[in-house]
Amino acid sequence: MATFELRQVAKSFPDGEAEIRVLKGIDLTLAEGQLTALVGSSGSGKSTLLTIAAGLQEASGGEILLDGEDMTKMPPEKLRSIRATRFGFVFQSSHLVPFLTAEDQLALMLDVSGSRLDAAGRAKQVAEALGLVGMEHRRKAYPASLSGGEKQRIAIARAIIHRPRILFADEPTASLDSERSHEILGLLRKLTQAFGMSTLMVTHDGEMLPYADRVVEMRDGRIEGHTWRTANGIGT
Amino acid sequence: MKLAWQEMKRNRARFAILGSIVFLISLLAFIVAGLANGLSRDNAALIADMPEGQFYMSGEADGTYSFSAIDPSLQSEVLQSRDGSMALSIRLGFLNDADGKQLGVAYVASVSEEENAKAKMLPTVHPGEVWLDGTLAEKGVAIGDMLTGDASSDKAFRVAGFVDGQKFSHAPAAFVNPDDYAEMTGRAEMQLLFVPGSPGETPAGLEAFTKGELLGSIPSYKAEQLTLNMIIVFLIAIGGLLFGIFFYMMNVQKMGLYGILKAIGVRTGALFRMMWTQMAVVAGIAMLGAAALSALFAAVAPGEMPFRLSGSSMAWLAVLFLVVGFAGSSVSGIQIKKVSPLAAIQQGEM
Ligand SMILES: Nc1ncnc2c1ncn2[C@@H]1O[C@H](COP(=O)(O)OP(=O)(O)OP(=O)(O)O)[C@@H](O)[C@H]1O
Ligand SMILES: [Mg+2]
Repeated sequence: MATFELRQVAKSFPDGEAEIRVLKGIDLTLAEGQLTALVGSSGSGKSTLLTIAAGLQEASGGEILLDGEDMTKMPPEKLRSIRATRFGFVFQSSHLVPFLTAEDQLALMLDVSGSRLDAAGRAKQVAEALGLVGMEHRRKAYPASLSGGEKQRIAIARAIIHRPRILFADEPTASLDSERSHEILGLLRKLTQAFGMSTLMVTHDGEMLPYADRVVEMRDGRIEGHTWRTANGIGT
Repeated sequence: MKLAWQEMKRNRARFAILGSIVFLISLLAFIVAGLANGLSRDNAALIADMPEGQFYMSGEADGTYSFSAIDPSLQSEVLQSRDGSMALSIRLGFLNDADGKQLGVAYVASVSEEENAKAKMLPTVHPGEVWLDGTLAEKGVAIGDMLTGDASSDKAFRVAGFVDGQKFSHAPAAFVNPDDYAEMTGRAEMQLLFVPGSPGETPAGLEAFTKGELLGSIPSYKAEQLTLNMIIVFLIAIGGLLFGIFFYMMNVQKMGLYGILKAIGVRTGALFRMMWTQMAVVAGIAMLGAAALSALFAAVAPGEMPFRLSGSSMAWLAVLFLVVGFAGSSVSGIQIKKVSPLAAIQQGEM
C-alpha cells in the first residue's frame, strides 16, 4: 500500500569550501488517503524536503521510490511527466496564471496532464473541480479579481483536477487568516480522503495540525518524531 | 497554442502597442522599398528592363561606360555571331523645343544585325528622327515637333514617336540614329555591347558586366540604392530588436509564471512555442496591415512619385521581418530556458 517512500534522502549545498548539510538522511513513507503534516522550526529543511520529494530539485543522496521506481535516477523529462500527471502542487502563494479565468486555469492543467477527454468531458471535469472547492460561481473570474482565500481554492482545484496520486503543499495557508485557513485545510483533508491521495503539507500553524492524519516533526535536517492521529472529529 | 492566444486576449493593449509599432516600421520599410524600386526604374529603366544578359565595355574604360569605345571590327564580329546582341551608346544632354526650352535627355543610339529582334527592346530610328520617352509627351512634346540638339551640334530632329519607361540616370531617353549620334559626339565607336542570355566567353579586349554591375556604374543609381537599402536594413534590424526587447521585458515579468508552469509540468518547448506564436501573430497582423496600406499608397501616390512595390519584394521583406522577429524573441527567450521552477515557487505572489 506504500506508494511513495523516501529512503535516506540527503541534501547538501556547497558553501564555499565547505558544505551545508540541509537534509541528513530522511526516511518517510506517505500513505494513500492520508494527510501528512511536516512541521519544524524555520530552516529545518521542510521546504527542501518537499521540493526534492516533488522532483523539483535533486537529492544529494538516498532514494525516492514512486511505486517502487527510484525518481532520483530518472531523466528530467520523465520527472516532468510525473509532475504533470501524478503530482499536484499547492504553494504558499496561489501562483495562478494571471491571464486565465478560473476555469481556464483548470483546463490548462488538464492539457498539461495529457487528458484525453473531449470538450464536454473536460467542461464537466472543470465544473466538478470548481464545485469541490465551492467556486463554481467564479468560474469566469480572473485571479486579479479574487480574494486570497478564493485564489487558494482555485489553486487547490488546479492541483487536484487531474487526479494526482500525491499532493504537495508548502504552507498553503500562510497568506490567509485563521477562518480561511480552517476552510482550506478542511478542503485539503476532504479531497485527500475522497481521492485517496497521499498529501504532504508543510505548515507553521499549530492550529492546522488537527486536520492531519500524521504530524512529522523535523529538526536540523532530521525527522525528530511522528505523531499519528486517529479520528479526531475535525474537518471532513 | 491556446495559452498564447489567451494571454494576448487578456493583455490586448500590450500586444496592440507592439503590433502598431511593428506595423509602422514595416509600413515604412515597404514604402522605402517601393521608393527604392521606383527610383531604380525611374533612374535606369532603359538598362533595368533589358533582358538578362551580359554587357561589355572596352578594357581601357575601366568600368566607366562613357569612356568605353568598342573596336568596330570586334563589334561587327560579336553582332554577327551572337543572336539578339546589339551595340549601344548613351550620353546625357539636352534637346531644345521650338520655344528654346531645354529638355534634359539621355541620347541613346543602338546598332544591331537584326533590327527586328532589337525592336522588341529599343526603337529603330531613321536619320533625322528621334523617339522619346513617354514622360516628355506629358511635358507637351508631340509627334511631328521639331527639336534641336544641344550646344555640341545644331542638329534638328523630328519627333517620330514615344516609348514607355525608357530612362537613364533619371533623364528620359532620346533614341537617335547611330549616324546622327556619331555626328553629334564626333565619335564613331559605340560604348557598350549587349549579348542576351547566359554569359559566353568574353571577347578579347573587352570587359564583361552583369546588368547589376552596369547599373551600379551609374553614379546616381548606386548612391540612391545604397542609401535606400541601408534604410531598409536598419528598419529590419530595428524590427528584430523591437521584438527582442519587447519579449525580453514580457519574459522578465513572467519569470515567476514560467517557473510555476514548469513546476506543474509544462514543457519548456511549449513556453517557447507560446512566445513564437505571439510573435508570429503580432508580426503577421502588423505586416498584413502594412502591406494593405502600402498597396493603397501605391494606388493613390501622385504620378510623379516614383513608387513601385511588387508583391514579391513585400513578401521578401515580410519573411525577413519574421526571421529577425523570431531571432529577437528567441534570444530573449533564453531566460525561459534558464528559469528554475524552484526559485519561482519560493517567490511571492504574482
Ligand atoms: N539553494 C540553496 N542554497 C544554499 N542553502 C540553501 C538553499 N536552499 C535552502 N538552503 C538552506 O537550507 C536550509 C533549509 O531550508 P528550507 O527552505 O528547507 O527551510 P524550511 O524548513 O522550509 O524553513 P521555513 O520554515 O523558513 O520555510 C536553510 O538553512 C536554507 O538556508
Ligand atoms: Mg519553507
